[in-house]
Amino acid sequence: MSIDLEKILRPIENTIPPFPPKYMKLAGGEEMIIRQVSREEIPDILPHVEPLLHIERDYYDIVAARLYSELLAYYRYRVQDEYVLVAQINGELVAVVNGRLLSKEVGMSYHTLALRRGLRVGAHAFAAKMEYHFDIIGQKEVLIVAESPIGFRRWMIEYSLEKRFHIPHELGGVPSWALTKEMFDKDRYALVVGRRPVPQDLLAKAQAAILPPTDPPRAPADLLAATRSMYDSTGTALMAQRWKQEGMD
Amino acid sequence: MREVYVVGIGITSFAWLPYPLSEIAAYPAMVALKDAGLSKVDHVYVANMGSAWLNHQTGLASAVVDSLSLTPVGAEVIENGPASGASAIKQGFLAVASGLHDVVLVTSAERLREVNNLEATDFVASLTHPLAEYIYGVTLPSLAAMFARLYMQKYGVTERHLAMVAVKNHDNALLNSFAHLHEKITLDGILDSPEAMTNNPYVAEPLRFFDCCPVSDGGACIILASADVAKKLKKPLIRLAGVGQATDTHCIHERAEPTDLLAVRGAAAQAFKMAGVAPGDVDVAELHDAFTILEIVESEEVGFFKKGEGHHALERGETRLGGKLPINTSGGLKAKGHPLGATGVAQVHEIILQLRGEAEKRQVEDAKIGFTCNFGGFGNNVVCFVFKREN
Amino acid sequence: MALEIYAYRCRKCGQLHYPFRMVCKKCGKNGPHEFDTVPLPKTGKLVTFTTLHNLPPDFNVAKLALGVVELENGMRITGQLKIPAPKIGMAVAGRVEVVREADYNKNYGIVFYPA
Repeated sequence: MSIDLEKILRPIENTIPPFPPKYMKLAGGEEMIIRQVSREEIPDILPHVEPLLHIERDYYDIVAARLYSELLAYYRYRVQDEYVLVAQINGELVAVVNGRLLSKEVGMSYHTLALRRGLRVGAHAFAAKMEYHFDIIGQKEVLIVAESPIGFRRWMIEYSLEKRFHIPHELGGVPSWALTKEMFDKDRYALVVGRRPVPQDLLAKAQAAILPPTDPPRAPADLLAATRSMYDSTGTALMAQRWKQEGMD
Repeated sequence: MREVYVVGIGITSFAWLPYPLSEIAAYPAMVALKDAGLSKVDHVYVANMGSAWLNHQTGLASAVVDSLSLTPVGAEVIENGPASGASAIKQGFLAVASGLHDVVLVTSAERLREVNNLEATDFVASLTHPLAEYIYGVTLPSLAAMFARLYMQKYGVTERHLAMVAVKNHDNALLNSFAHLHEKITLDGILDSPEAMTNNPYVAEPLRFFDCCPVSDGGACIILASADVAKKLKKPLIRLAGVGQATDTHCIHERAEPTDLLAVRGAAAQAFKMAGVAPGDVDVAELHDAFTILEIVESEEVGFFKKGEGHHALERGETRLGGKLPINTSGGLKAKGHPLGATGVAQVHEIILQLRGEAEKRQVEDAKIGFTCNFGGFGNNVVCFVFKREN
Repeated sequence: MALEIYAYRCRKCGQLHYPFRMVCKKCGKNGPHEFDTVPLPKTGKLVTFTTLHNLPPDFNVAKLALGVVELENGMRITGQLKIPAPKIGMAVAGRVEVVREADYNKNYGIVFYPA
């Protein structure tokens, strides 16, 4: 009889109510679905988080590094009570959000990573995460930190979060802020957007596969390239540079 | 007064530009000099609003003229808030028209993104009156919002009309490789769908996110020259035929009629009078749409449409590409971007491209007369130009 | 003691100004600072208003209500609003309070309430 170490190392399997998928229309007219993913789908997400490990701008590197480890921990059963939601447009991955349940009443928001430019994708995904904690799981409070100034402005100031500075957040021990059920209910009209149920064909497309993002964050381009059209009067200087970035040259 | 021609143009992409400010001003100047086939000029003007505050750099013109190796030619920075660009061009015009100089380079640059968003907001808010507006937390979007609310009440402009301006300008910018935003938006996505409030939240009610221009870095340059110089170069002859400028009260609450932009009206009238053309003769125009409401109101105040009728013209599609009078074919400030000091020059850059027939997919057919309106502060200092193609 | 916001009356022709300007906008004939201070009335009609969500620094609130009011004497003033449901044309009454605190500086200005 061999001792099953894996059983000891794994987290306790608690049942958490699943997140019912929802969909919403974005500024450009496309429809985005937000749904929960299971462990099996994590390997489909990891390759799209990895390239961001090298982009310093807007703190993508640290968010990607931490998110990667959280996703891996979820996949390999080394974290307690974590959930992962993804946002997809036409099957393409555009955002990943995650968090975990500290206790029955208190949740801990981990990360919100938007993989398509246009700030509102992240806003929708973050709101879905909060809806999960409060409306679906039924918690009282969620602890939040922001790693980037944009995140800080968007959450701490826009939603008037309460300081919970005596509680170090799992993300690096930095002071936490909290969103309580009362605040959530007050701002509900702005936070809880999206419609259910998701139309069958839309949902089927999203569940079939997680496709690579078509316009992910990139290291800053040489944006003065447009002026180099003076050496290249056909105006292809910008195009050629984009090809180089996409590895198409 | 001599006649003044535009002989060279250059521009950077508008976006986040992590380059020193003097480089952002010098690059388009290099492009413009090559465009004009010139290597020497008689004077340099640099339009810029925030070099001292945002970029810790004063005396920018001296830095730029050295960077371009154009010393010992004279140079000055011209600052007139968001109308710095047009004011600098006006100085260049005066220099050539007076006969003092034959070739003047007017370049411009702004690098707002060197500082964080809060700092940039405070910087722009410094245009307001320090004691009667600034202390209350008044920012430019709040002034535009209060103006828009009155306009909506008086003339029936709706949030839908504002959104239509944004959609139109975003569509135009998709055809402009220099534009800041290459982002398609739809009325459904930003106004009609249930999620529109999250996609397009209020910035200052009733103005929403997509009613306000982005924070951009960028630079643009034009070269003005006398007729002798212009005729030697093998380019279409485009003359700066009309110049107009007018000011209005500093505090918005002191305006005679709260829904009027008298400085726009006055500056445009001067420019048209000098050029000897009427608003109806204009083929293409670049107006200052830092907020979508401004495109509608300026189109009325400059004389394209009757007061209170601008949004009807918008509904009829008259101001779209392919319409009777395309406005902001570049994408306007809303989608092309608004690097404050460079905007006025960038507007002229677009008009010159149009009049030369070089605007590619956004070309207005047979454009011969172009118009720009550069709006300083919140309508307290406005400079307008009329350009004519002469061959 | 209630605080006041002052208008400036030209000593040559009596024209009122708010805010201060160096040269009288009516007669242009005053010498430097030849103005008398006159407290502005605090009641009037709301001309226009907005609720600002993207705030400048120094404001630690979620949103800020601003408006332009036409005072009883016909002059207009910009101020903050503490009015639950503002409407163009409604009667308002103002009080001079702290409107902005930057570091150790307190700025006083007018705040309008429903009349």
